[in-house]
Parts: sequence; structure tokens; C-alpha cells
Amino acid sequence: MRPLPFADPGTPDLRGPWAYLRWVARRQAGVLTAALLCGVVVFACQAVQPYLVGEIVDSATAGGLDAATWRLAALLLAVGLALTGTAVLGHRLDVRNWLHATFRSSQLVSRTVSRSGQAVSAELPTGEVVSAVANDTFRIGELYAMAAQFLGSLVAYAVVTGLMLASSVELGLVIALGLPVVAAVLALLVRPLNRRQSAQREASGRLTTLGADTVSGLRILRGIGGEKVFTDRYRSQSQRVRAAGVKVAHTQSWLDALQVLLPGLFVALVVYLGAVHAMSGRISTGQLVSFYGYAAFLSWPVQLATQFLKIATNAHVSAKKLITVLRVQPATGTRPATATPPAPGAVLRDETTGVALEPGRVVALVSPDPDESARVAVRLGRFDDAAEAATPVTLGGVPLADLPKDHLRERVVVAEATPTIFSGRLGTELDVRDRAAVADLERAMHVADAGDVLDSVPDGLAGELPEKGRSLSGGQRQRVALARALLTEPEILVLVEPTSAVDAHTEARIAARLAEARRGRTTLVVTASPLVLDHVDEVLFLDGGRVTTRGTHRELLERPRAAEGGEAAARYRAVVGRSLDEAPADALAPTGLGATDAATTDLAEDRA
Amino acid sequence: MKLPIADGRTTWRYAVGMLRRHRGAFTVIAVLHVLAATAGLVGPWLLGRLVDDVTAGTTADHVRDLVLFAVATIVARAVLQKVAQQRSMVFGESVFAEMREEFLDTVTALPLSVVERAGTGDLVARTTNDVNKIQHTVRFGLPQLVVAVVTIVLTVAATLLLSPLVAVAMFVGLPILLVATRWYLRRAEPAYQRESAAYAVLNGTVTESVEGVRTVDALHLGARRTGRADADLAEAFAAETATLNLRSVLFPSVDLTFVLAPISVLVWGGWLAAQGSVSVGTVTAIVMYTMQLTGPVWNLIFWLDEIQVAATSLSRIIGVRLVAPDREAGDAVPASETVTARGVRYAYREGHDVLHGIDLDLRPGERLAIVGPSGAGKSTLGRMLAGIHPPTGGSVTVGGVPLVELPLEDLRRHVALVTQEHHVFVGTVADNLRLADVDAAPERLRDALAAVDALTWVDALPEGLHTEVGSGGHPLTPAQAQQLALARLVLLDPHTLVLDEATSLLDPRAARHLERSLNAVLAGRTVVAIAHRLHTAHDADRVAVVDGGRITEIGPHDELVAAGGEYARLWNSWQHQ
Repeated sequence: MRPLPFADPGTPDLRGPWAYLRWVARRQAGVLTAALLCGVVVFACQAVQPYLVGEIVDSATAGGLDAATWRLAALLLAVGLALTGTAVLGHRLDVRNWLHATFRSSQLVSRTVSRSGQAVSAELPTGEVVSAVANDTFRIGELYAMAAQFLGSLVAYAVVTGLMLASSVELGLVIALGLPVVAAVLALLVRPLNRRQSAQREASGRLTTLGADTVSGLRILRGIGGEKVFTDRYRSQSQRVRAAGVKVAHTQSWLDALQVLLPGLFVALVVYLGAVHAMSGRISTGQLVSFYGYAAFLSWPVQLATQFLKIATNAHVSAKKLITVLRVQPATGTRPATATPPAPGAVLRDETTGVALEPGRVVALVSPDPDESARVAVRLGRFDDAAEAATPVTLGGVPLADLPKDHLRERVVVAEATPTIFSGRLGTELDVRDRAAVADLERAMHVADAGDVLDSVPDGLAGELPEKGRSLSGGQRQRVALARALLTEPEILVLVEPTSAVDAHTEARIAARLAEARRGRTTLVVTASPLVLDHVDEVLFLDGGRVTTRGTHRELLERPRAAEGGEAAARYRAVVGRSLDEAPADALAPTGLGATDAATTDLAEDRA
Repeated sequence: MKLPIADGRTTWRYAVGMLRRHRGAFTVIAVLHVLAATAGLVGPWLLGRLVDDVTAGTTADHVRDLVLFAVATIVARAVLQKVAQQRSMVFGESVFAEMREEFLDTVTALPLSVVERAGTGDLVARTTNDVNKIQHTVRFGLPQLVVAVVTIVLTVAATLLLSPLVAVAMFVGLPILLVATRWYLRRAEPAYQRESAAYAVLNGTVTESVEGVRTVDALHLGARRTGRADADLAEAFAAETATLNLRSVLFPSVDLTFVLAPISVLVWGGWLAAQGSVSVGTVTAIVMYTMQLTGPVWNLIFWLDEIQVAATSLSRIIGVRLVAPDREAGDAVPASETVTARGVRYAYREGHDVLHGIDLDLRPGERLAIVGPSGAGKSTLGRMLAGIHPPTGGSVTVGGVPLVELPLEDLRRHVALVTQEHHVFVGTVADNLRLADVDAAPERLRDALAAVDALTWVDALPEGLHTEVGSGGHPLTPAQAQQLALARLVLLDPHTLVLDEATSLLDPRAARHLERSLNAVLAGRTVVAIAHRLHTAHDADRVAVVDGGRITEIGPHDELVAAGGEYARLWNSWQHQ
């Protein structure tokens, strides 16, 4: 069996659900055809078995265990062996069809997500995308996995009808027409059953949500109480699920009873007619046995065929959901690049605010409004072409939107304030460019002062991180993200609040090492922490949408109010200042739990 | 710390105990299924009789009587089936409801220390995945298993009654069936577990990619993420191939058994019939019985397989019951509101003390800041002071009574721990507040909200206090969620609060709004604030510097700065200028 996944899942037809399903079928036409052939053979073999059994009964009745009987028994054995062999081959092909369709669809989703940027989370809830992979691809796969059994059922039905009509037109017609009636009656009950089942699924989903919700907040519940409220709530929902289940049981048991009754009565009718025919000599006893066999066997393909209709409906619904995901357009780079990239050493400039990153300088960006400086940093990264059209950023004079995106991402890296840490080997997750040596990793972890992470992850760099790095504390995650960003070694690196969640000891160490590590390479740090500001080459002060002054941290702290840019420097001091004369202690929040940069700012502004 | 998983014997005992408790209902169901299955044996018997009678010559009336008798049994079987099926499904629902409610009771009663340390990921997985995994088996599996076993036993019994001589031939393929099924069942469970684990990993990868889509874009990780998903699929493919190979042995073996059985009966019975020792009709009936066995045998194998998977989930569900309590409540009543720590030690792993004998007296009404580098033991100390973990050595007392000897409800009225973790529960705003005081009147809730500066936005919600919030409800900002948590504290009204970086993950502007809310809560209480920002320390009455599991310095900010120790050095580098 050729291993999956595919090297390239191809470009799907997204004009509609059926178009998509057809496209998938064409991509696996070979496997699908082979499976259909097997399905036909398997069901044909099953269909002729009652016929041969009847022949053997006749032959044994007529001449005992003579050569003719032996021949027939050998033939039945041959059919049985063929059936056994083809059935297992057919099952393997069915699974293969399932895998092809499911994996291809799944790969298409993961490719869409990887390419889309923020567009996918803007357009669709995470749950829907995950459910496309976890459920919809499976439902689509089932269509192709069941196709062979469906075709086989139709063939079996035709074969049996043919065989019966050959023996007795009357009995043949009863079977050919009677079974679809039985199937139709049963199908009528399926609808209310589905309705009740989905009511129970809904109640059950709500119960799962309640359970997960209670357990997710368990630390709080155990900390402050209220467990009983929640267990009572769970219990009453649990009883609602039970009640819904009782309703399902009611309908389901009717369906089961009818599934016994109707085919049973049908077999009885066939046997009665057959016996009457046999008594009058119109058919043999062997044929009577065959008829019984047919009648008993046929309910199976009829059931399969009905089931297939449901599977096809589900596949259609799932294909519809899948293509909504696949239709998401990436937030950047949908338009081909129009400009050639400027040579290394170009200036990155935010035209709106005048923030410009001169090559080779480590600078900090400070603003009274932390949101504003963060917004500028994000623009420098080009995350959304449409939204950023009005606030252009240029690299060497060329608008970012005109540059090839892949090229830009290699040169400019913007590490945001709340990055995601991905699961996997720590070393691999740090080195996202796959080119760092162990020494490089260790150096980057040292700069980010993340030695304690190496201790807390079993096996250090070779150890595994769980989903979203959950085993790490907030501060540890931030430092791992910093090391990861440093290891991308871009020409221009932009870091947004890289030390907001670490303690002062650690921040002091990171500040010194970070500036040293990026010395001589273009770097922008968005922060208001004096520990960091003291180590950068230059500080840009962004106030009211423009850069109002620049200078070293020390120079800005000492610049007299009367000097040129003195007012701006005073405002800067108000933002970063922690000294008592700038912001009186009693005016600071009394216990000051947490970063109160903005609180300080406000107070300082009032005074200014 | 991992939550326990029950071993096979404990799981089995639990399952048996569950059935025993419902012995009556279970017996009735079993009897009904036996009756229904017995009625189902009439078809082949009727055919056999007819074959013999027609061969021997019979009357139309006799045929009609036979068929009418068959019809009567079919109707009877349908009715029995209806009742049995309904009863067994209702039974499954009840047992399952009981099981999951019992589970949630156990989970919500887990010791504080276990909840704090084990995290909630594993518990959520047990509450959702494991409970869902066994539901199918409990609802459908148990009844189906009963039906399959009963049908197989009765069908075989029927053939033996008709003619043991002929019936032996049907067992010709049995060794193949037994060997193959045994071989398969031994391997199936781990193989299918691997398969579902592979898809769970894939779903995790996709979730990460979507939730971290900004990071994926910013660091240009698209190709890597696609590669990861493809690698997950490759593992899923390997797992699928493994289970497929198992089935590729099982399926033909079962098929072969059911190919050989009727042929053997036909040939052997045909020979016996030619000898005149049995009738052709008897042989026919037995052939039909062997064919009729196929369905129940497949069902039996399928459900045995599923039950193995369910047993794994069940062992995880009842594993939670094995957690030992971490404390025993006494009846001593605290004499005052003074919290005191004496010689407190704590080790997460034996022999690795995180705290090395800490002595600390909290003065009622004071604000104590705890500072120190990451990993110094600040949070652990905080949890000791809040009575979350029993200390490994020494004691933390309130008014002379160890915190861990207070009943939980009382403990909460003395000390509460506030962390950066905030969770909005599914329910109304009022529900979220009433955790702290189940019977609080709406006025009290409003007062608490007003105290934390949250009444304005709560009143602005579509339904005010009765607005549904939490997952799927009206979205709240992290700051609003935190305000709800603070309002709960107002309702709970403990005299001492331990704050562990309660606002550190919020953005600075949200933190500013929260300061006001927080101050309202802190007023008049003893506060221990674990902080990573030094100005927190500066504003406290006293500062404790924790390093390497010890309090290295303690005193008012100014004294420590004047003393020129580690704290002074830090403060100066922070101040800088």
C-alpha cells in the first residue's frame, strides 16, 4: 500500500459540495474503481449462495451424495473461498478509499490554515476549523468507503431478482417489489428516530460543555466554594440527557421490533407461497430452500442501500462545511509581488508615524498609549494587506504590500506580545528556521534567561512541550518565545513587550543580554521598562501619533525642560519614570498589583 | 503530578458492583432477550418441517397452520424485542447517568492540593473524552452483547436439539474462529487506542495552528505547520494500516468459518440423509441455523473490541476515586485572625525541599509583598499561607488552628487565594457570583459588583445580572472576568487574601481599571501579594524577599533599601537614575 499523506493534495474544485466530492472521486479514480469491482463480486457471491444450497438439497434428495452433489458442494466451497478472498481485499480497498478522501481533505485544511494568516480566525471560529478536520473529513471519507457496498447491494438485488424470476415469476415479483416496500416503511420510522437522537446529542453536548466548564474552573470552585451548585446543575442536565435517551429508546425499540416483524412476515409469506408452489410441483424443495435463503439475505443489501443514502447526505453537508474553510483567502500576499526587494540595509519606515528603523541600530519605541506603539510594531510586520492599505510601511522606499511575502518574512520578524508556543520537542520548537546548532540554542536561551525552562522540561532541549506550552508558566512561555524570535536571526527584528511577564531580576538580565546579542543589527523593542530602555542605542518617543523626540534613555531623562525637545522629554520621563519626584508613591495604586505603566502615565499627564 | 488510573481488577470490581446494584432490572432484561431470541429460532425449524412435509406429501391446511404458527412467533418475537430493547436502553441510560454524576461528584470533591498541582487538562479530558467513549458502550454495547451471547447459545442449543449428529459438522471451522478472534482481541485494543491518539494529536495540531495563526504568520511557520500536520497524518496512516492488517486476518478467518460450516453440514447431513438416519428437512434447518449465526458472532466480536476500549476509559474515570484526601478537618475554632507560619517546609518530590523552614507572622491588616526571582518558592509559600497544600513540615495556623484542619467552608472564610487564572463559568452573571454565597440576595450581588466598580457594565449587559456568560454566552473581557472574581471575594469576605500575580497577565490599561476594584476588595483585610513588579513591593507595609526557599530579608521598603542588601541592589537597578 502506497503510504499517505500525499506530497501534494492538489487544487480542489470549490464551486460547490458536489463539485468537491466529484473532484475527490476523480483524484482516487483507480482505487475507487477497484473497490467497486470487489464490492460487486462480493455481493454477487453472497447472492448465489442460497441458489447453490437449494441445488445441493435437490441433488442430495434425488441421488444422495453422488458426483453431482459433490460437484455442487465444491462449487459452493469455491464461491465461499472467492467471497472470503474478495471480501478482505474489498475491505482493504474500502479503507484505502476512506483514507485517500479523508487525508486529502484534511491536508487541504491544514494547508489553508498555514497560508491564511489571521484571515482564518477572523472569518471562522476555531471550533469549526478543527471540526472540519475531526469530523467533516471523516464523513466525506465514508462516502467513498461505502460506495462499493452500495453498488454491490444493487447488483446483489438484481442478481437475486433474476434468479428468482427464472425459477418462478410470481415469487420473483413478490420479492422484487415487496422488499422495497418493507425498506420504505422502515425508512419512515428513521426520521423521528434521527430527530430524537439529535435532541439527545444536543442535550449530551450541553452536558459535556457543563462538565468541561466545571472542571476547567475547578481550581476556583475548590478555592471559594460553589461545588454543589455545579454538581446539581450537572446532575439535572444529566437527567435531561437520560430523559432524552429514554425517548430515543422508545422510538428505537419500535424500529427494532419492526425490523424483526416486517422482514419476518415477508419471509413467512415467501415460504408459504413457496411451499404451495412446491406442493403443486411448480418448484422443487431445493428451490423452496433457496427462496427462503434469498428472502432472509435480501434485507441486508436493502438496509445497506438505505444507509448509503444517509451517508451521502452527511458527506454532502460535510463537504459544504469543508469548502467554507477551504475558501478562506489569505490576509496577505494574495496579489503577486510587483516590486523587486531592496538590497540589505534598507530602512524600514512607518509612514504614518515616522517611526524609521535605521540599519544596525537597536532602538526602543515608547508611547504613553501602549496600544499605539504595539499597533505600529504590528504594521511593520504586514499582517493584513487590506487593513493596512491606509497606513503604509516601506522597506527602502518600497511599500511592504508590493514585496514578495516569503522574502519579507525572512528579513523582517515581528514577535508579538502574546505569541503561541507550539507543542513538540523544545529544541525543534525554538529553532523554527531549522538551522541552529545546539550552541546557538543555548546562547539564545541564555539571552532570554530561560535556563529554568531547560530544567523544568524533562530532557531539556530534547524534551517535549505539551499543547501550547501549557506546562510552562506565563513568564517562561514569554522567554521561550523571545529565544525563538532571536533564533530566526532576521535582518530586522521587532519585539513587542518581550519582558512584560517576567520578574524584575530576570528582566534586568534579559535587557542587558538582549541588547548585546542584537548589537549592530536592526532591532526595535516596544516597551516602557527602564531596565530595557537603558540598554538600547536609541529611544523613539511616540506621542499623539508622531515621533516627537528621540535620544538615549539617559539623555532623555536628563534633558532640561527648556532645551529643544525638552517638553517631549518631560512627557517621556512621565511615562517611564518610577522615581518618587515624578510619580508620588501614594498616588500609585496602593498595592500596585501588576504593571501599572498606564496608571503612572495618567498621573504624570495630569501633572504635566 | 498525574492523576491515578485504576487497574484492571478495580475497574472490573466497579463494573460488577454497578451491575449488582441493578441486579433486578438486569435480570428482567436478560430474560426478555432470551424469550425474544427463542422466538427467533422458529424460521429455520419451519423451513425444515416444510421441506420434509412437502417431500412426504402434505395438505395445504397443514402448510397454512405451520406458517400461521410461524407468523404468531414472529409477532411475539417483535413484541418481546420491543420491550427488551426499550428496557435495556433505558437501563443503559440510567447506569450511565449514575456513573457520570458520581464521577463529577468525585471530581468536585478532589483535594485542593491535587487540583492545584494536577492542573485541569487531564480532568477535562476524563470528563469529556472518557465519559463520551464509554457512553456508546454502555448505551448500546451492553444490550447488544447480551443479545449476541443469548442468540448464539440458543441457536447452537436448537441445532443440538434437532440432531446432535448433524450439528457437530457446523463446528468444523470453530478452531479457526477461536484462534483468530483471540489473536485479534489481544492486539486490537492498543492498536485502536494508537489510532484514536493519532487523530487526537492531529486535532491538537490544527487547533494550535488556528489559535496561533498570528504567530504562524509572523514567524513564517506555514510550511512547518503543514509539515507537522502531515507528520500527524503519517502516524495516523501507520496506525490505520496496523488495525487494517489486524482486520485482514480476522475478517477472512470469520468468513471462512461461515463458509465451511454450512457446506460441512450439507455434505455430512446429505450423507446421513442418504443413509436414512436424518431427514433432509432437519439438515436444511441446521444449515439455515448456521447461516443465521453469522450476525450475532460478528456483533459479539465487535462489541468485545469496543468494550476493551471502554474499559480503558472506565479505568481513567474511576481512577479519580483513588485520590486520597489531603487533610482531615478537626473541630478546633480559631481564636483570632492572625495567620502564622512556623518552620514551613514543602517538597513536591521527596527530598527536594522547595521551602526550607519558613517563619512568618502576618500582622492583621498589613500588606506584605513577597518578591524574589522565578523559582524561588514564592507561589509555593503563597499556597501554604492560603491552606491549599498541607506543608511537608512545620505549620501554618490561623488563631492557633492549622489551616489544613479547618473544614473547607471555614477555611474559605479565613483565607482565599487569588491567582491570575480567571474562568467565567457557563451560566448567568448571578450564577457566577453565587459560588461564593449560594443564597445571596440580588441586592448583595449588586453591592459586591458596585464595590469592585463592575456594576455599571453588568447593568449595561442585555439582561443585567441574568445575562448568560461563559463559553457560548455573552463574551466578557479578561478584566471583566477578573472583576467578577473579585466580586466573589467580596461576597466570600475572608480576612486574609493571598494574591499570586493576580493581574500580571492583563494588559496595562486593563490592570489600571482593576486597581480600583482590587483596592475595594483589599480594604480592611490582611494581604499577601506575590509580585514581580517592584513598585508593588514599594507600596506595601512590609517586603519579604524569598530566594532559594528562604526568606532572606524582611521589613519595610525603606529599611531594606537602607540596609543595602539584595533588595536594595534590585531596587536601585529598577530605579536606575
